[in-house]
Amino acid sequence: MNAVTLAGAEWPARPGDPLIQLPGFVMSSFSPAVAQAAQRCLRGFFGPPPVPAALGARTGVVLASATGDIATAAAVAAAVDTGRRVPPLLFFQSNPNAVVGFLTARWGLTGPVVCTCPGGDVRADARRSAALLLADGDADAVLVLTVTQANAPGQHDHAEAELIGPPHWAAAANREAPAREADK
Amino acid sequence: MPERPRVVITGMGASCAFGRGTGPLRDGTLSGEPAFGEVTRFRADGCRVRTAALIPGRPATADELSAVLGEACGQAGLDAELRERCPLLVALHSDPEAAREPAAPQVTGDTAARLAAECGMPAPLRTYVAACVAASTAVADAATMITTGEADRVAVAAGFLVDSDSQALFDAGRALATDGQVRPFSAGRSGMLLGDGAAAVICESAAAAAARNAAPQAVLAGWGRAGDAYHVCQPRPDGDGCARAIGAALRRAGAAPGDVCYVNANGTGTPFGDAAESAALHLALGAAAARIPVSSTKSLHGHSLEASGLVELVATVLALRAGTLPVNAGFLGPDRDCPLDLVHPVPRPSGPGYGLSVNSAFGGANTALLVSAA
Repeated sequence: MNAVTLAGAEWPARPGDPLIQLPGFVMSSFSPAVAQAAQRCLRGFFGPPPVPAALGARTGVVLASATGDIATAAAVAAAVDTGRRVPPLLFFQSNPNAVVGFLTARWGLTGPVVCTCPGGDVRADARRSAALLLADGDADAVLVLTVTQANAPGQHDHAEAELIGPPHWAAAANREAPAREADK
Repeated sequence: MPERPRVVITGMGASCAFGRGTGPLRDGTLSGEPAFGEVTRFRADGCRVRTAALIPGRPATADELSAVLGEACGQAGLDAELRERCPLLVALHSDPEAAREPAAPQVTGDTAARLAAECGMPAPLRTYVAACVAASTAVADAATMITTGEADRVAVAAGFLVDSDSQALFDAGRALATDGQVRPFSAGRSGMLLGDGAAAVICESAAAAAARNAAPQAVLAGWGRAGDAYHVCQPRPDGDGCARAIGAALRRAGAAPGDVCYVNANGTGTPFGDAAESAALHLALGAAAARIPVSSTKSLHGHSLEASGLVELVATVLALRAGTLPVNAGFLGPDRDCPLDLVHPVPRPSGPGYGLSVNSAFGGANTALLVSAA
């Protein structure tokens, strides 16, 4: 299949771009950053959620991160090392799948879910993972998410989203957009 | 369109609380005796649950991975030259040392890169971290790389050793069984228990294996993956996503539900998870679901998180090759939400057909792998 970039977005998109917290996610920027980039990308292409069911059923998600959620892992380690009880919310966000679950539930994306830590060029490898899903045939489109979490002085959190899929989806998405419920 | 290559498994390796090697995994799961005990590897006195299935002593993830990958390469007959050209996919849990290292570059540490160097393979393309479907997702990607002609063979390795952080995290999430046993699909089940696990497989095109006279251990006939789009961490109660993953695996294999002779279920022993998986099996397999023997080997070796999909795939192949299906341990009595033909209280002879290994994870990610003994 000839897949193309249908839409893209990032967070932060400009200096001072605020990070919107996600309900149920605490102490780490990882999941909110991913969600913000992803939702900008999806909204820019499909309009408000959910995605039309026929398209959502064929859309997978790849989340790739060079760092992983270092802040959550460090918060768990700090609690363990000081004998404090681990905050239960950290259990729910302890894996990158969690924010993908938030996104797929909100947007109705029922394709495969893949989460990785690539060793080299994160975006290139995330696209490679997406290409495998498309070649495998379990998805026609993939929301490719990449995130880097700042973990040293001078670094900055950054998340990007790219929707890759067949060119004819652009027409399908625009045609069905007015019939869907407004974003709350 | 040319026919896509068939995928076979030419080598396997495993390590778990039953011992190191595929032999102990086979014998341990067929013994029907769970490997759980009191956690002594680290201080767990702050945890409500202090039970897990552990490899004795102080094992290291890198060592276990190196051993299982070496075992798999040895069985597959991969010499140094073949290893140098064999892509490696790795699935790992977060590294507790990386979580304590200032400015750590990656939560999974450098284990995967060191494994590749130690085993004479190219640096891994990526580490799969998708929770309990990480390893099975890597297997599906390996199979796709082979069927699309990207590679003749791909090594997949996965490892998880229980550590203080994961025990505390799952304890805080109230996910662990409070009575010292994992009881998948049983009345009175109260949750999961963690278990050490590492495994490796060499996936290969049937033609490439035949060309070098390598004996397949199993045929990887089908694989499928699908999402629930339901919740951050809970499974979809009607099992729709898991059922679509199973359906995709059957379609890819050209198999019917009645061709499945055994299901090694995700079966974590959690009340909601097992009920959702039972619904998924009925949705995907129809009337055959009530007749297909089901067990979850997690009831014996524990839940190996990111490695679970590969440990359980190897356990499934070993059971099919032995002609005996492992028990679903810990069973106390039927639960009407889980109307399945569970293998208990003793192992059962296997009929001919496919083994189906099912895994589900946080974020509503589901995978299904369909294998037959070669």
